[in-house]
Amino acid sequence: MPELRNVIVFAIGAARYAVELRWVREVVTLGFVTAVPTAPPALGGVCNLHGTILPVLDVGVLLDQGAGPPPRQGDGALVIEAEGVLCGLRVDQVDHVASLFETGGSVVDAAGRPLTLLEPERLLKRALELVGSAQESVAT
Amino acid sequence: MNDSDLDFDPEELAMLRQLFRTEAHDALEAVTARVLATGSQRPNAETLTEMMRVTHTLKGAAGTVGLDAVVDLAHRLESAFAALGRDGSQWTAATADLIVEVTDGLRGYLDQLALDPAYAEPHASRLREQIGRIAAVPVRDSANDLRTRDSLADLGRSPSELSVPASGPEIRRDSLTDMSPADSLSMPTVTELGESESVVEMLSGDITAPEPKSYLRVEPERVDALMSSAGELLFDRTRIERRVQLLRTLARDLARTRQNLRDAIGHDQRGGRDRAGLSEAESELASQAALLSQTTAALLDEIEALRRTIGELQRGLVRIRMESARNLMTHAARTLRALRRATGVRVELRTLGEETEFDKAVAEQLVDPITQLLRNAVAHAIETPEERAARGKPPTATITMRARQDGNLLVLEISDDGRGVDTAALRARLVATGRWSHARAQIATDADVLEALGSGVSVRGDADELAGRGIGLDLVRQTVARLGGEVKVSSLPGRGTTFSLRLPLSTSLAQAMLFKVGGQVYAIPAVHVSETTIVEPGASTVSLRQAQMPVLRLEALLGGAVNSERKPGVVVSFAGKTMVCTVDKIVGPREIIIKPLGPLLAPLTLYAAATISGSGKVQLILDPAQLVRRVYPEAIGEFADSTSAPMVLAGRALVVDDSRAIREAMTSMLGREGWIVDVAEDGARALQMTRQLRYDLVVTDLEMPELGGFDLIARLRKDERFKTTPIVIITSRANPEHRRRARDLGVRALVAKPITRRKLLEALAAR
Repeated sequence: MPELRNVIVFAIGAARYAVELRWVREVVTLGFVTAVPTAPPALGGVCNLHGTILPVLDVGVLLDQGAGPPPRQGDGALVIEAEGVLCGLRVDQVDHVASLFETGGSVVDAAGRPLTLLEPERLLKRALELVGSAQESVAT
Repeated sequence: MNDSDLDFDPEELAMLRQLFRTEAHDALEAVTARVLATGSQRPNAETLTEMMRVTHTLKGAAGTVGLDAVVDLAHRLESAFAALGRDGSQWTAATADLIVEVTDGLRGYLDQLALDPAYAEPHASRLREQIGRIAAVPVRDSANDLRTRDSLADLGRSPSELSVPASGPEIRRDSLTDMSPADSLSMPTVTELGESESVVEMLSGDITAPEPKSYLRVEPERVDALMSSAGELLFDRTRIERRVQLLRTLARDLARTRQNLRDAIGHDQRGGRDRAGLSEAESELASQAALLSQTTAALLDEIEALRRTIGELQRGLVRIRMESARNLMTHAARTLRALRRATGVRVELRTLGEETEFDKAVAEQLVDPITQLLRNAVAHAIETPEERAARGKPPTATITMRARQDGNLLVLEISDDGRGVDTAALRARLVATGRWSHARAQIATDADVLEALGSGVSVRGDADELAGRGIGLDLVRQTVARLGGEVKVSSLPGRGTTFSLRLPLSTSLAQAMLFKVGGQVYAIPAVHVSETTIVEPGASTVSLRQAQMPVLRLEALLGGAVNSERKPGVVVSFAGKTMVCTVDKIVGPREIIIKPLGPLLAPLTLYAAATISGSGKVQLILDPAQLVRRVYPEAIGEFADSTSAPMVLAGRALVVDDSRAIREAMTSMLGREGWIVDVAEDGARALQMTRQLRYDLVVTDLEMPELGGFDLIARLRKDERFKTTPIVIITSRANPEHRRRARDLGVRALVAKPITRRKLLEALAAR
C-alpha cells in the first residue's frame, strides 16, 4: 500500500532526491566553509549556522554514488536534524515541496520520474561510520 | 609635598596610588554618566550635589596619596560644580560637553601621571583652563590652603571667611541647603564639615548612613586567568569523555571475544585438563569484561558530576565578571553626543534597565554594534525637524536603549522614533540587486524582509560617511551571532524601528593562540602555548632555552603546502612534553568563544572544539594532547599496559563518610584492590543508594549528620539483601561500647583512623 509523504524535492548534479519535510529544519545558503583536514570525503567541511557548528555532508559519498564537488560558500544546503544530530546536505537545486506516494523506498514525482527518498537516520549512521574509521586510520 | 612626607613606604604608596587611580576612574565615570544622563539640560540640584560629592571624595583621596596636582584640579572642578549649583544661568548648551571633556581629560591625566609624572604638567594646565570655562568660581591657588579647607565646608561658612573675588558671585550660607536634599547628607565626607558648628546643626537629625556594602577589588586579569583555566577544564572533560567511549568499545569487544571463546569451547572435542583450562580462562575473561564495563559505567557517572561542577564553576566566574549595563549606556550617550555634534541632528537618549547585568567580556563586544546602530539611526532613521513637525512628532527625536533579562537571554533593545523601515522599498531593492527572486519577494512577509536587512542590503542606494546601513548591520549581526545570539528587527512605518540584540546569559570564553596553516586559521588554547619561535627549513628539532624540542610539521598534518621555507613555530606543551609546531603565519593571541563540535565531528580527536571568527568563519581548535601524542607516541600511555598484573573483580563497595578526603582515599585504596566503589556523604544517602543497588561490602564512618553509622548498619541488617554483607566501620573513636554494638550488628571489623592500606586489608581479610 503506497503511503503519502510530504517531501522536499532537490537535485545534486544529475541525481534527483526527496527527503521528508519532518527532517528538514531549514534551507540555507552556505556561508564560508571551513575544511576539516583528516575528515573523510563524506564530510566536506563545517559552516557557521546561526552561531553553531554545522557539518556539511556529501550525499553522493554517503550513498556510494560517487563524490560531488566540495561545498563552497554560496552553495545551497538542507539543514537536517535526526536523532539530535544537526548536519547540512549540500544540494545544487531545491525544486519544490510536494506530497508524493512512496512505494518500496522510492517516490515518483508529478512528472512520473522516480526520486531517491533519503532516510536521514541511515545517512547519519553511515556518516558516523565513515568519520570514525577515518580517525582510526589517522591514529595508527 | 614630597612623597617622603607621607606616612607610607614607597611600595605601599605605589599600591595606594594604583588603587586611587582605579577609584578615580570610577568616580569620573560616574560624573560623566550623570552629565550624559541629563542631555544638554542643566542637571537638577540633586545631581549637581552628587557630582560635587564624587569630586570631593576624589579630592580627599588624592590628598591622602600625596597627589597635590590632582587635589588642585578636583578642587577646581568641585568649585565649578558648586558655582553651577548656585547660579543656574551659568549653564549653557556647551557646558555638558565641556564637563565630559574635562572628566575624560582628567582620566587621561591620571594615566599619564602614573606613567611619567614629568610629562603630566601640560595636561594639568590645559585641564585647569577647561575647568575655568565650566563656570566662574572663586579661585585659590595655594594647595596647602586646599588641604586644610574644603569647598563643601566653605559653602557652610559665613561669607566673611571666604575670599570672594569682586566679580564672582556671592556664596551664601544657605547655598548648600538649596542644592542638597536629605540624601546628600549620607555622604562619607560629612565628618569634615565638623569645622563649622552651624553646618553640623543643620545636618543633624536625619543622618541615616546606609550600611556600606563591601566589595572586593580584583584586577580583571586575575578573573580572566581563572576563566581561562575553567575553559581548559572543558577541553579536559572532552578528552576524558572520548577516552571513556573507547573503553566502552573495548568492553563490548571483550565481551564478544569471551562469547566466541565460549562457543569454541562448546564445540571443542577435547576433554579433561585442556578443556578445564580453557573454561577457567573463559570465566576469568568474563569477570574482567564485567569489571571493565562496570568501571566504565562508574566513570561516566563521575564525568557527569564533573560536567556539573565545571558548569557551576564557569557560571560563578561569569557572575564575578558581571557588570551593569550602565557602562554600555554611558558609552552610547557619549557616542550619540559626538554624532549630534557631527551631524546637527536633534536627538536625545533615553535609557532603561541600567541595572541589568552583563558579562563584562560580552559587554565589551557589544560596544561596536551599539555604535553602529546609533550611527544608523542618526544617519537614516531620524527625519528632518520639518518632516517630524509634519507628522506631529516632537522636533527632537528620542533613541531609547533598554536592557533586560528575558529568561535565559539578555536583551538589549535600541529603538528610534524615526521614519521606520520602508519594507516596500527594501523588497524592491532585494529584487533589483538580484538577491531575491520576484516569487520570493511576493510571498515574503514584512518580517522576512526586515530579516534580510543587514545581509548587505541597504534601504538607501547610497552609503554615506556615517553609515552604509546594510554593511553596518551585517557586522552587528555577525558580532551578535559570534556571541551566540541573534538580532531581531521590527519596524512600524512612520513610527520607528527597534533592533533587539538577544544574547545568551553566559558564554564560554577562552584565551587562544591563533595561526594560519594552508589558508585556514586554527587555534590552540593559550595555556598550552608558551611562546613562538622560528623553525629552519628541514629542521626536525629546535633548541630553545637549553632544550631540544621536536618539531611537528602542521602543514603536513593539516594539508598545507609543504615547502622548504623558514616557518614561524608555536611552542606547545602538554602534560610536561613540549614541542614546536610549524605554521604558515601567526595571527596572535585572541579571546575566543568555544563552540562544541557536535557528535558527527567528535571522532576526529585532532580537534577539541571550534570557534567562530569576527567575520563569521568557523575556526578549528586543535587538541594539544593529540599534537603531543604525534611527536611523543610513547608519552601518554595507552590503556593496554601489559606489565600490570591482571585485576580480579572484587565486587561493588559502598563507602560512607562525611569527609570527602576520607571518601577519596578509601575509593583509591579499594579501587586498587579491584573494588568498584560508590560513595555516600551520610547514612541517609547511603540508605537511599542501597535501595537501588546491592553492595558486596559496606565501609562506614560512625559519626555523620542525618543518619549515623550504627543506625545505618541496623537498618541495613533489617534488609534481606544486606543481612550478611561484610561491613567495616572506620572511626576515630572506638570505645568498648562501640565494639560491643559492632559485634552485635555483625560488623566484620572496626578500623581506627587514620586508615592505612595494611589496616584495610586486614579488616577485609577478617572473618
